[in-house]
Amino acid sequence: MLILQNLSDALILACTYILMAAGLTMVYGVLKVLHIAHASVYTVGAFIGVLVFSWIGNFWLALLCAMLISGVFGVLIYRSTYFYLLNAPRTVPLIASVGMFVMFTDLLQKNFLMGPYQRAFPAAGAGLPAIQTTWLSLTPKQLLILLVTLGLLVLLYFLLTRTRLGLSWQAASMDREMAAAVGINLNRSIAANFFLGSALAGAAGVLVGVYNNSVFATMGDLPSYKAFIIIVLGGMGSLPGAILASLLLAIVENFMVASIGYVLPRDSIAFLVLILMLMFRPNGLLGRE
Amino acid sequence: MLSVENLHVRYGQIEVLHGVPLHVQEGEIVAVLGANGAGKSTLIKTLIGWLEPSEGEISFQGERLTHLSAWERVRRGMAIVPEGGRLFRDLSVEDNLRLGAFLQDENTLKEQLEVVYTLFPILAERRKQVSKTLSGGEQQMLAIGRAMMSKPRLLLIDEVSMGLMPILVRRVFQVIRELREHHVSILLVEQNAFEALKIVNRAYVLENGHIILEGQPDELEKDPRVKAAYLGG
Repeated sequence: MLILQNLSDALILACTYILMAAGLTMVYGVLKVLHIAHASVYTVGAFIGVLVFSWIGNFWLALLCAMLISGVFGVLIYRSTYFYLLNAPRTVPLIASVGMFVMFTDLLQKNFLMGPYQRAFPAAGAGLPAIQTTWLSLTPKQLLILLVTLGLLVLLYFLLTRTRLGLSWQAASMDREMAAAVGINLNRSIAANFFLGSALAGAAGVLVGVYNNSVFATMGDLPSYKAFIIIVLGGMGSLPGAILASLLLAIVENFMVASIGYVLPRDSIAFLVLILMLMFRPNGLLGRE
Repeated sequence: MLSVENLHVRYGQIEVLHGVPLHVQEGEIVAVLGANGAGKSTLIKTLIGWLEPSEGEISFQGERLTHLSAWERVRRGMAIVPEGGRLFRDLSVEDNLRLGAFLQDENTLKEQLEVVYTLFPILAERRKQVSKTLSGGEQQMLAIGRAMMSKPRLLLIDEVSMGLMPILVRRVFQVIRELREHHVSILLVEQNAFEALKIVNRAYVLENGHIILEGQPDELEKDPRVKAAYLGG
């Protein structure tokens, strides 16, 4: 039972990792930029979610608004920064990205935005029931996270494999110049990529906010590096890899803590896994050569 | 249909093309011949919009497109077969062709697939195969096929013969000549002057970023400078 409980917990943790890493790996795939400021989008998503929820009291509307505004925020980040650095050496956008992340976190801590406190996000499970079976035991909150994540992944899968937009992303991720030379409007395609990836990060922020019943300006610190580790583990730019790595990391984290206890701080396990991975399989689990 | 005036292109401080003039008439096959480093690839990359000229004008079908991006040029009827093919390596043959027709509607896509599969029956057989597993010759054919998917008015071809066995070189040039039936004008840059001159209407010789000669193939073949430099004496 304890093992099953741990698996359920790990699954839910993995869901939040997946949403965060999916957007990051999509952006990496097309732009080859390590978009650290993605974690700011996550925080903004949680913030918008909690604001809308406190005004209207409807979780789904709050989630939708958070995703839309996060999406727009992501596109603005792209258009204001990376757009001008497309042909610069790769470290340049990376530095810009770290700079933006620090700037946004500081800005969000100002009193006219989030301030230096935690806000409660009492959406509970948005009215969903608890699930109790032999195989799975989920609280309403956990069920909510699982359903939202699965829904978004199905949508993402459909977009990637069944639409022209998805095909254009695949092409751009393999050869951006050549993608332009078959007629793909890169500006539009990349902006759409950022919109979707950022909306996913916004959703992750909302879900984590609800799960911990807490939203605060520095909540992106942890995901900023953990999502990065996940996409390295999975293989840069590989979406299935990111999903697999999210699951693995969540399981390892949960079981290490449950079986061995806090020998290491829980959030440092990711680094241990990263180091092992870089030593033995530097291309990641499902990475291309 | 294509006219280029006084084209200057530089990489940083180094100027590679020093005022190149060039034109292609409707229905023509034109070659730009030149040795390694003459600036041939730079020329093609500037024409498709991957590089921006520092000076000069490019116009296509009466419209200036010097500062348009590659996808806007494709929309106006250009297509490229780049050096080395540059296929979308992890996608299937058919997805590569589909991407070639990215701006076309579903009917044109089907028509053009038919056209390309008739030109290259081997591609039809390998439809579902991932493109990086094709042989060198097949990859080159797929690159040509992908470019033809957009029903281009002008096809830019960069060093199509490079790295191919002599027998395949001949075959590929034959195919390029046959493309004329599809109402497409062609500009190709080549090191292999011998094979290229067999199929073109007109050719330029590019040396160190300058056009030094222009003429019909038979004139050029006789020119001592061409003989010495490109036809092995």
